[in-house]
Amino acid sequence: MSENIERRRFLKGIGAASLILGPMGCTSVKDDNEDANKPHYVMVFDQNKCVGCGECKEACNVANNLPDGKSRMLMEHQSGGVEGQACPHCGKEECNCERKFVRVSCQQCKNAPCVSVCPTGAAHKDPKTGIVTMDASKCAGCKYCIGACPYNARFINEETDVADNCDFCLNSKLSKGELPACVQQCKYDALIFGDANDPTSYVNKLLAVKDSVRMKPQFGTEPSLRYIPVVKLGV
Amino acid sequence: MGLSEGVAWPWPIAVYLFLAGISGGSLVVALAIRFFKGQTETTPLYKAASLISFVTIALGMLCLVLDLTNPLFFWRILVFYNFTSVMSVGVIALCVYIPLTAVLCLYAFEDEIKSIPALSFLLPIINMLKPVRKPCEVTALILAASVCAYTGFLISALIRFPLINTAVLPALFIASGVSAGAAASKMLSVFLFKEDMHSSELKILHGAEWPIMIAEILFICMIAMSLATGNAGAQSAFEAFTAGVWANLFWIGVVGVGFLGPILLNFATGKTFSHSAKAFYLSGFCAISGMMCLRLFILYAGQTYAI
Repeated sequence: MSENIERRRFLKGIGAASLILGPMGCTSVKDDNEDANKPHYVMVFDQNKCVGCGECKEACNVANNLPDGKSRMLMEHQSGGVEGQACPHCGKEECNCERKFVRVSCQQCKNAPCVSVCPTGAAHKDPKTGIVTMDASKCAGCKYCIGACPYNARFINEETDVADNCDFCLNSKLSKGELPACVQQCKYDALIFGDANDPTSYVNKLLAVKDSVRMKPQFGTEPSLRYIPVVKLGV
Repeated sequence: MGLSEGVAWPWPIAVYLFLAGISGGSLVVALAIRFFKGQTETTPLYKAASLISFVTIALGMLCLVLDLTNPLFFWRILVFYNFTSVMSVGVIALCVYIPLTAVLCLYAFEDEIKSIPALSFLLPIINMLKPVRKPCEVTALILAASVCAYTGFLISALIRFPLINTAVLPALFIASGVSAGAAASKMLSVFLFKEDMHSSELKILHGAEWPIMIAEILFICMIAMSLATGNAGAQSAFEAFTAGVWANLFWIGVVGVGFLGPILLNFATGKTFSHSAKAFYLSGFCAISGMMCLRLFILYAGQTYAI
């Protein structure tokens, strides 16, 4: 008799527990896993092709209505020479002859420090595209995101007084089905943009055959901006 | 090369870290002594500490708001929350802490408020709050320590800066906050509320000063050593201690004024001088200025040496 009650209680317990734990188990799975059906927009900067003309910056300024002379990206001019020694190309001590540039802009981290430190959620990931962007109406201008960004890629827009970053022209171009302004502008094919989760996209094929690097990988931010570096000087 | 120019957080934030540290530190000291000694009366130290904690945190908030790119945007921080952000969690703590410091001021200054007719509208509020005095004080003690620690956690989340991005920073900020808070409240209690310079409470504070200072020195050594023996980025940040204007600030301000000042004033001078009012105030000011220098050093030198 008592054994029966014990067994009944045990079965009831199993039933209740499975009812409670079942849905919990189902909901917690796959929260962080990469969903292949969602786009993962990436940009590739090919240092071998960039000549440093700076037209990408102008296009950025126009497309995103930024204050005069400001853009969401910079071109860093790198000189391959060693300080104090003559340039291997022109033989001068100080020169600007080597055209080696690096794009400095928001790296569109998968694991973005700016998003996790933003106290208001103004710096956020666009739910549809996963692109790190700004909700200017929420930003309080505390500059926490600027200090937290390992790439120093964020700034205060002097006109709106809120933080700003390169969001691949999410609202100005992508939403209209266009490519980012800088990519459209570049005459030298130094900028390639696309969805890395789309097996047919050009950027996907390019990354499959080309070696590319990500900036400061030790921070674990997993940037979506990739660089194809110049690996050696000419023969 | 980057898109932002200069340091993201300039000196008003250092002043805010300083004021929040003093506010939390002075309350921690006064309330800890109150619970430890089982006091029920309102002591001069309690009065001084509650007044300091309220005034300094209010001034600190002013610094914080004025440092926003547009101070009128401050309401957004109060309306929108993000729980992965240390700042957002801190805002919640401050939203409870600041009113609590005001309530402690009401408890502390009940007699003074009674004697000023213009403030008589506060008396019913004080009477209403009296039954919850103990829970209020316990909460205030916990939150005061949390606010001290929060200022450390807030900036240690900036991963680009090796000097700032250390696990020890919150502990260092609690220790230096408590020592400066203790110095501020003991000076005010003697100056304004006529506490005896050699009373039993101030004796406890005098005794506690040195272990706290040793803890501070230990924490700073831990940061310096972890940088000196760390990776390339950490090693370049170690330069903050050895070269440049911030190294001067550290050695003169933090070590010279903040640590050596009180030590010399108390142990290297004759007994008559070290027990005099002059030495009492001087060593208090040394402790407070040292803490301000420490906050300035951590914030500026920290943001100067980025990876």
